[in-house]
Amino acid sequence: MRFSSPFFLYFPMVSSHNGLLTSKIIGLIFSLSLIFFDVGDSYSSIIFIMIMLSIGIPHGSVDHIIAFLNPESRRFSSKLHFFIAYISLIIINVIIWVFYPFIGLTIFLLISCYHFGETQVIGYNSTKNKFLNFVVGANILLSLFLNNIFELQEILVDFKLFSTLDLSSFEKIFFLLVSVSILMMTIVHFDIKKKVPLYAELTILYLIFYHTDILTSFSIFFGFSHSLPMLLMEYEEMKEKSFLIFYLKTLPFTLLAIAFGLVLYYFNNSILTTDNLILFVFIIISSLTLPHVFIMKDFVKSK
Amino acid sequence: MNTLNFILGASLQPNDFTGFTFFIGSVSMLAATVFFLVQHGQVDKKYKDSMLVAALITGIAAVHYYYMRDQWAEGLGSPTELRYVDWILTVPLMVVEFSLLTGVGMAKLFWLSVGMLVTGYFGESGVTGMLDAQTWGAVAGLCYFWMAYEVGALRALSDGMPSGAVGDALASAKGKIPAAGKMLQWYVLVGWSIYPLGYMLGTDGWYSGMLSGLNWNMDIVYNIGDAINKIGFGMAVWSAARD
Repeated sequence: MRFSSPFFLYFPMVSSHNGLLTSKIIGLIFSLSLIFFDVGDSYSSIIFIMIMLSIGIPHGSVDHIIAFLNPESRRFSSKLHFFIAYISLIIINVIIWVFYPFIGLTIFLLISCYHFGETQVIGYNSTKNKFLNFVVGANILLSLFLNNIFELQEILVDFKLFSTLDLSSFEKIFFLLVSVSILMMTIVHFDIKKKVPLYAELTILYLIFYHTDILTSFSIFFGFSHSLPMLLMEYEEMKEKSFLIFYLKTLPFTLLAIAFGLVLYYFNNSILTTDNLILFVFIIISSLTLPHVFIMKDFVKSK
Repeated sequence: MNTLNFILGASLQPNDFTGFTFFIGSVSMLAATVFFLVQHGQVDKKYKDSMLVAALITGIAAVHYYYMRDQWAEGLGSPTELRYVDWILTVPLMVVEFSLLTGVGMAKLFWLSVGMLVTGYFGESGVTGMLDAQTWGAVAGLCYFWMAYEVGALRALSDGMPSGAVGDALASAKGKIPAAGKMLQWYVLVGWSIYPLGYMLGTDGWYSGMLSGLNWNMDIVYNIGDAINKIGFGMAVWSAARD
């Protein structure tokens, strides 16, 4: 598939990865539409749900196939072995969140930094430099959080040390300045094949993080910069006849993941989160992410 | 025409020249973005990143000028915060253009632009509670002059003037790069000087009194200056890149 429209030149450095290119262009158009049509923060929950259900969860719903496709990733002797390991990690993560929320949050942040960074550098550098993967992911999350820090304080109200910090003397722009400065340091001091294009793409992400609320920011990044590229790469790897057939294969585990969320919500209580829906959703995402990270680590090894 | 107004939050008042320059800023940046993206497909492979960055600079500015026009039209005053957001995102990209053309100096120019933006912001916002606007402004100015030296801005006046590594690399490069470099050096020397001047004229404690006496609006200066600097910067790069 070849693109001739100038919009598709936005990320020429990933022209060999059509999936990456396509999804990032879609994300860019989507983000600009939100800005120009002034959709407003009141729709962020709907945007989040739509993106999570259509792209976010499905990109991890073929892990059970991907884990056995790539010769480098065959570490499971059977499907049963795979599912036991996969589900155990999910359950362990929920238990950690229930009893040690701070540790749960720390694990989520650490693995997310690595996982997001690993997929972000594809097209700009090899994914072999694990420290770079982690630092790039940390930059993205840091920017996402810093540019929405006052909202984050409300979400993490149970983490008193952070939520009670008095940041009122700082304007929002200060945090943008900090995140851009850290990004510049990262780009300058790491050995990256395509420094400028990576910096350029992250600049666009930072612009979106600054101008949209935390849920919309996360939805756009997670959906179009992370999940959709992965989904399209998985489609390519699985060599299905059409995208529809591939997408249908993601449905069973997407539905299971949704059911898992609903069951957990049914048993939601004061130990987990009482009325903090966003935090609850992030606990679900972190639980589903933990085993997925290990599968993706092998999947992107040669990318 | 009214049917299109769903895109815009507020309409400009008649005879609102400042508001009109926000509008012109937004539209011209958008047009330049489209132009640079189209040209991206026409230029040699080694210039593609430069054209991409040029498009990104004007694209980011177009978004912010759209916001600024809206804020101004709603009567919310001068959009200083949005202007800073725009500068924070685009200034590093502008200095990157020098590195893309010459292959040297990225680390130093990045560091200097960070220094200039951070200390400039500290001075204007007073967020640190330490030092005064003049001191922070002096540090920011020092970073700007150092950056101007590095890229050989004085060589816009004469080839014999002192220059840093980036300026030397521009002068000794092949093809149309030296000529394009000269245009970029003019932009840094003259075009970029409106920012420290605006800082000095607009920050309390410096020369802010001069503006009130002249009934002068810095937004107009910034809007016109920004459009010339950002679009002109991209055009200079394009002039080196085209066959």
